[in-house]
Amino acid sequence: MSNVTRDRLLFAAAIILAGIYLFPLYWMYITTIKSGSEMFATPPTFWPTDPQWQIFGNVWQGRNMGRYIWNSLVIACGAVSVIAVLGVGCAYVLARYRNIWVDIGLFLILMLQVLPASLMVTPIFVGFSQVGLLNYPRLAVILAIAAKSMPFFVVLVRATFMSVPQELEEAALVDGNSRVGAFFNIVLPLARNGILVSVILIFMQAFGEFVYSKSMIQAVELQPASVGLNSFMGPNTNEWNNIMAYAAIYVTPILAIFVLLQRRIVSGLTSGALK
Amino acid sequence: MKRFLSSMIDGRGFDIGLVSLPLAFLLTLSGLPLLYNIVMSFQEVDMFSLGSFWRPFVGLKNYRDLFAQPETWPILANTATFVIASIAGQFLVGFGLALFFWTNFPGASWLRGLFLVSWVMPGLVVGAIWNWILSGDFGVLNFILRETGLIGGNIFWRSDPDFSLWAVIIANIWLGTSFNMILLSVGLSAIPRDLYEASELDGANVWQRFWTITLPMMRASIGAIIALGLIFTLQQFDLFAAITSGGPNNASNVTQYWAWDLSFRQYDFAKGATISVIMIVFVMIASVVYVRSTRHEVRG
Repeated sequence: MSNVTRDRLLFAAAIILAGIYLFPLYWMYITTIKSGSEMFATPPTFWPTDPQWQIFGNVWQGRNMGRYIWNSLVIACGAVSVIAVLGVGCAYVLARYRNIWVDIGLFLILMLQVLPASLMVTPIFVGFSQVGLLNYPRLAVILAIAAKSMPFFVVLVRATFMSVPQELEEAALVDGNSRVGAFFNIVLPLARNGILVSVILIFMQAFGEFVYSKSMIQAVELQPASVGLNSFMGPNTNEWNNIMAYAAIYVTPILAIFVLLQRRIVSGLTSGALK
Repeated sequence: MKRFLSSMIDGRGFDIGLVSLPLAFLLTLSGLPLLYNIVMSFQEVDMFSLGSFWRPFVGLKNYRDLFAQPETWPILANTATFVIASIAGQFLVGFGLALFFWTNFPGASWLRGLFLVSWVMPGLVVGAIWNWILSGDFGVLNFILRETGLIGGNIFWRSDPDFSLWAVIIANIWLGTSFNMILLSVGLSAIPRDLYEASELDGANVWQRFWTITLPMMRASIGAIIALGLIFTLQQFDLFAAITSGGPNNASNVTQYWAWDLSFRQYDFAKGATISVIMIVFVMIASVVYVRSTRHEVRG
């Protein structure tokens, strides 16, 4: 067997594997455009006979999705800005030095990274209600998400800073730059790509966050899309095409960003988690 | 003052400033709640005392009450099943896929990356999709299983107490497999190729090479990935909320969902805090394992 045939065979097998693995996504999109009766047909159709394109507009209007997505965006952007502003500096210092204090700091951060949100939400909710933060529910959720996701961000960005050669910064210092100047003019631009990838990853997480929003935001007008999807799915629902349309509208931007930046996201992710 | 300022701009103060602010933020919003959680698990908390810090201390009463409840042990057992089955499934499927993509044909890395969409999607969306796929009468999974002759009648994944936990496990395996696979691929690509060339010259077959080279060389990554899997599985909440809500009758309930359910559905914050404390201890142990297995990396 020549190398070319072998490669082609393997590629075909890989496509089939990916097809099987990604079938749930296909099923979401295909269910979306099925009509009510076709959806419950036995045997199910794997290609819609009568695609219903207007369903996207109907669900967007009917479920008031604009508001939900807007809230998701507000929460995700807020959390990402808090994390980026605080986390970048922290990651920089943790990457630059190697001593016992840095080790302790890293250990603390890794420990805080693993606390499950659904277990931490009880004390956070009670504490926030005592200091009155629950009167600003979206801000409360932003702070909670920031605390939850910042350790992960610091670990990822620290890996980026580690790959910036320290000699460049030292050269800038010798040339008379201050530490602040060297940080903003030399180190930060060099680490820009890695930081951007980490920001995107954190954004996607925050955009889909559920536990904190569900627990702390009572007012429907302030709830993000994940909570909206949850309340759309009642226990005995049969509007699956509408629910899948909701899910598709919600998830497609994330999938688009991911597919476009796939290579960078994957390499950024792996460099932080273990290498 | 001037010295302080110049240190902030040009010296040690700059580093300390950069690090202390985020650490203070994290300690306030993660560390304090952690301690508060422990305090609450020793207190009597109800709707009326929710607003005050000084609640009556009840010692270990919450813990005793918790373990006196009939559903506690089944839920702990469910958690163990969920964790073990999810990690085993994610790891085995992920390892298989990683080995396959390791053969390195053109397009392999791009296709492999595509798998990760399952991991970047919001958990609620993954849950919604699987909820529909697993539905009893019209679910496509039942259809496929029936057509291939694996089952005779429909399985009511979400409402049958024997299957509801497995419904969530299936979804969770799907969700986590890609992440396992990507990390395992990184570990695989770090194995020096000449080891294989040497063993091939010595006449080792594929099977022997896998057991004597691949597995031993992967030991550190496998440890880290399983610890990471444990951490992620114990964090899994969205799938329960989206697929079974812990039902029917707690058949698919696990501690991380139960803790939330007690606090926010039954308003028993003290019990919720108590379970959280117990589970956080487990998570901490897992994370120590994880930190230890990535230690050489952490220290650079």
